[in-house]
Amino acid sequence: MASSEPALAVVHLEFPPEPALLGTVRLVVGIVARKAGVDEEGVEDLKVAVSETCAVAVGDLAWAGLSTPIELDLVEEPDRFGVEVRDRAPAEHAPSVPEDGEVDDRQFGLALVGALVDGLHSTMLEGGGHSTRFWLRRGLEELPPPLT
Amino acid sequence: MDLDLNVRKEGDHAVLGVGGEIDVYTAPKLREKLIELVSDGEYHLVVDLEKVDFLDSTGLGVLVGGLKRVRNHDGSLQLVCTQEKILKIFRITGLTKVFPIHSSVADAISDSAE
Repeated sequence: MASSEPALAVVHLEFPPEPALLGTVRLVVGIVARKAGVDEEGVEDLKVAVSETCAVAVGDLAWAGLSTPIELDLVEEPDRFGVEVRDRAPAEHAPSVPEDGEVDDRQFGLALVGALVDGLHSTMLEGGGHSTRFWLRRGLEELPPPLT
Repeated sequence: MDLDLNVRKEGDHAVLGVGGEIDVYTAPKLREKLIELVSDGEYHLVVDLEKVDFLDSTGLGVLVGGLKRVRNHDGSLQLVCTQEKILKIFRITGLTKVFPIHSSVADAISDSAE
C-alpha cells in the first residue's frame, strides 16, 4: 500500500569501538550531512556531537571489556537531521577519573553535545546498552518568529 | 589520522604548533608534549591551534591540564586561534574566560609579556 509519508533517507554505520576510527566516523557524518543540505556550521556541530557521543560509548565498552560494534544512524528528515548512536555497554559506566589537573571529559563532552544539538535524549536498550538520540533543525530561517 | 606537533622558541616562550584533529585518540600525544615541555622548564607556552581541524572535550581537558601545570610554576599558557568552529567550542564551554585566546603568535607573546 502506498504511503503519503515521505521516505526517510537513513545511513547506517557499524564500527568497532576503537578511538582510531572516530576520525573516519566524523568524515562520514560530514559527507552525509552536507549531502542532506546541512550548512557548514551545522555540519561541524554534528561532527562534534557524534564524535563526543561515540567517544563515550568507546570508553564504556572498553571499560566493560566488550568489542561489540557501535551503531550509528544518520536520518535525513524533512525539517531536521537526526542522529542515533547505539552501543551494548552495560548501564554502569566507566568511572570518570580525570588526568592530573584536567577536567571530567565525560561530563564535559555530554554538556558540549547538549549545547550543540537539540533534543539530546539517552535511554537504556532492552538486553543492555544505550541509545542516544539528538537532532539538528534545518531551515530555521523559514520558521515563523517566536510568539511574544 | 595523526596529530602534528612542532615546538619552536620565541624568546622566553615555547610555541607549540598543533595541526590535525584533537580527539580521544590523539589527545594523549598532546598531553605528553605539554608535560614534556613543562618538565623541561618551559613555563610560558603558546599553543597555536590555527592548523587544528577538529577539537573535542578530551582536547579541551588536555589544554586545561597544561594551563594548570604551567600555573603551578607561575607560568602562562596562551592560545592562538581564529577559526570560528574551534572558538565556538571554547565559548560554549566557558573556556574563553579561562584561556587568553589571540589572533596571532606575536599577539600572544606580547600579551603574555605585559
